[in-house]
Amino acid sequence: MADALVVRDLSKRFGGLLAVQSFSFSVAENETMALIGPNGAGKTTSFHLITGYHRPDPGSSVVAFGRELVGLKPHDICAFGLARTFQVARPFGHMTVLANVMTGAFLRGRKLEAARERAREAIAFVGLEARAHTPARDLTTIDQRRLEMARALATEPRLLMFDEVMAGLNPSEIDQAVALIGKLSGRGLTIIIIEHVMRAIMAVASRIVVLDHGQKIAEGEPKEVMSDPDVIRAYLGSGYAAKPAAGEAPC
Amino acid sequence: MAGTRIPPGVFVAALAVVAVAAPLAMPTPFYVDIMIRVALFSFIGVAWNLLGGYAKQLSLGHAAFFGLGAYTSTILEVNYGVSPWIGMLAGGVVAAAASLPIGAMCFRLRGPYFAISTIATAQVLMLLFLKFRGLAWGAEGTTIPNLGDAPLMMQFAAKAAYYYVALALLAVALVVTWLIERSWMGYYLVALGEDEDAAEAVGVNVPRIKRHVFAISAFLTGLAGTFYIQYIYFIDPNTAFSFNISVEAALVSIVGGIGTLWGPVLGTALLEVTSALLQSWLGAGLGGVQLTIYALILMAVILLRPTGLIGLLTDARDRLFGGGKRTKEVVFDG
Amino acid sequence: MLITLAQAVVNGLLIGGIYALVSIGVTLIFGVVKVVNFAQGEFVMLGMYVSFFLATRLGMDPIVSLVVSVPVLFVLGMLLQHYLIRRVLGLGDMPQIFLTFALSLLMMNVALMAFSANYRTIQTAYSNLALHFGGLYVPVPKLIAFAVAMGLSALLWVFLKTTDLGKAMRAAAQNYDVAMLMGINPDRVFAVAVGIAIALAGAAGSLLMAFYPAYPMVGQVFVLMAFVAVVLGTLGNVTGALIAGLMMGVAESLGIQFVGADSGMIVVFVMFLVTLMIRPNGLFGGWAR
Repeated sequence: MADALVVRDLSKRFGGLLAVQSFSFSVAENETMALIGPNGAGKTTSFHLITGYHRPDPGSSVVAFGRELVGLKPHDICAFGLARTFQVARPFGHMTVLANVMTGAFLRGRKLEAARERAREAIAFVGLEARAHTPARDLTTIDQRRLEMARALATEPRLLMFDEVMAGLNPSEIDQAVALIGKLSGRGLTIIIIEHVMRAIMAVASRIVVLDHGQKIAEGEPKEVMSDPDVIRAYLGSGYAAKPAAGEAPC
Repeated sequence: MAGTRIPPGVFVAALAVVAVAAPLAMPTPFYVDIMIRVALFSFIGVAWNLLGGYAKQLSLGHAAFFGLGAYTSTILEVNYGVSPWIGMLAGGVVAAAASLPIGAMCFRLRGPYFAISTIATAQVLMLLFLKFRGLAWGAEGTTIPNLGDAPLMMQFAAKAAYYYVALALLAVALVVTWLIERSWMGYYLVALGEDEDAAEAVGVNVPRIKRHVFAISAFLTGLAGTFYIQYIYFIDPNTAFSFNISVEAALVSIVGGIGTLWGPVLGTALLEVTSALLQSWLGAGLGGVQLTIYALILMAVILLRPTGLIGLLTDARDRLFGGGKRTKEVVFDG
Repeated sequence: MLITLAQAVVNGLLIGGIYALVSIGVTLIFGVVKVVNFAQGEFVMLGMYVSFFLATRLGMDPIVSLVVSVPVLFVLGMLLQHYLIRRVLGLGDMPQIFLTFALSLLMMNVALMAFSANYRTIQTAYSNLALHFGGLYVPVPKLIAFAVAMGLSALLWVFLKTTDLGKAMRAAAQNYDVAMLMGINPDRVFAVAVGIAIALAGAAGSLLMAFYPAYPMVGQVFVLMAFVAVVLGTLGNVTGALIAGLMMGVAESLGIQFVGADSGMIVVFVMFLVTLMIRPNGLFGGWAR
């Protein structure tokens, strides 16, 4: 299968801190990959680097669907078909859910009615219909994350990047989210998730990449990665195992 | 938008009829003068509001565009005999063109420092026109030759005619805002005003939209500059680039209801009528009083009712007719 | 030529001391409370009038009247934080900008009504004294103002570095959330920080009164200089504001000397805009937008 995303030697130094070091990985089209690692491992930074929010250090390369993305602005990257969510949801607070999602939908057509239609579809897809006219700042944290997924979907991406969309969910909500990701994958989308919820990762991801201190320490099928001694050491070493799997983790 | 939903066409039509017929009912030119000021500053406020209200880029330097528009048409008229009607459009174009480099500098800063950098640009322009006499008459300024009743040169014998020009400008700005508000651009403006990074994440080209709305806002403000100078027959840097213009543009929008179609109009009506009443009570010596009252009204709005007069009216309507949930802030709906 | 240049630099540094005091106040409030105080210049104006009336009614020397203006303005600053600024924290740009902006308008115009637009000056025994170093001419009132301004800046620096309250302010400026986790009481820290900042503006006013006229709009000159200095000196950075304040004075003075009498402000603003283009984060270190 063709590669959707090929990242080569992705690096980023903030002052004296090497946040990401020569990180390379690739994702095949229609694959669902999980990016995991202890807190501060550089997962969210990698998302920022890929989607143009931080500029990677020289020598880094990010190729999506055959095109180099380094140097492009976030809106260009979104227009090219990579959509993301933020670890802490960032809804447009004074806009209703519908207006939020329509803002995303305008990327693929500036007609008001058509955008409203596409936005309603995306809202229905994440199950927020009942809240369509609620101002986004009045939503619960969980609904704000749903909203952000709908907003990303409305841009009609080929590759979706979800940053801890399941943190803080209860088991039945996790099942819903897993089903949602399954449905998206069924539509042919490529998906990368940053996640701490192991149950969800095992359910949706066909492959796992593990980051620790900005470096890739393991990669492979979920079962083999989770029994890799380096991975276990990275997690136990950082005290991760002591934390509840569904806890929110600032990264 | 909840609360600022365009009133039914009937309402707008009635308002238009009243606005057009009003000068006929005015006993003295003093009142027509107030109406001209209301129409003009509403117009400037609506222009400011596109950038400051919807996109939340709080400019305090709109005098730059007002002054550039004013000087462009005046130079064209006095030195080259060009009609101010053409000069006005040219002034708008010059103001819009100037917004590009000004935006390139000022948009590097956010929030309060954006506001300060816009003050600085307007001040620089004023100082340049004061200092370099070769540019245009230096500090003394110049008077516009009075041609009597010359509509083609935007000079009228009847005060009411000036009022209709200002009213027409206001109508144009309101229609432009109305069209933007219910198009993709309105959504993009509000979104980037809320969170620039999140707007970029859904494909909004934030720098480009800011540039565009700044240019539209500057263009309209430039038109106002031409009109004002034609109305008072005099120009100098302190008048054309007056900081008070920048302040009033922002003030009327905030007091009336920031980021709403009718907010600047309501705000201007309140402030200008207050100011006119003060003037008739206190005569000429009202220097500090007027701005003191403005400042107190502004503080009251910020601390008590950030949605401004529009918010008050919406509440009143909801209390009378039931309906909508009370909301302290303006919400943009799909 | 060289002596002209040196004289311009000296003139600039002397007034730059005042700019530095005002700038430090602006940057202290911005650093700790994250609000830009548009009314900072009006507190300079207030300090000037306090000293003016103490001088004309009680015959108090303007420099001595610091002992009145500084504590009075410190209290006003605490009240400003408690009754006004505190109510708009976290509410976004519009209320934060326009609340202090409205306060600035209010203070200017109340002063206009109360004191009229007249320029007020006072004469002291040393008003016309000057020192001569080589060919350099140094007016005594400005020299005293500069020395006291630098002394106050040094005092503030020591306060921020050594006292618990000062450390708490620096912590709050650097990372608000972490500071709160450390158990800092924000109401108290904020009120004291704003109090100090306003007291500095008052001190600047008293020092100015010895050689500069007081009038209702006088603060505008100083606050614009301070804003420029604060941006150039990197937002929230006290040392940066001090150096940039001095630089503003020198730049203005060189402008007056070499471009023309009314060009000081143009030079400063142009410098500001050019710096924005090449270094939007200021000259002294990074400040993430």
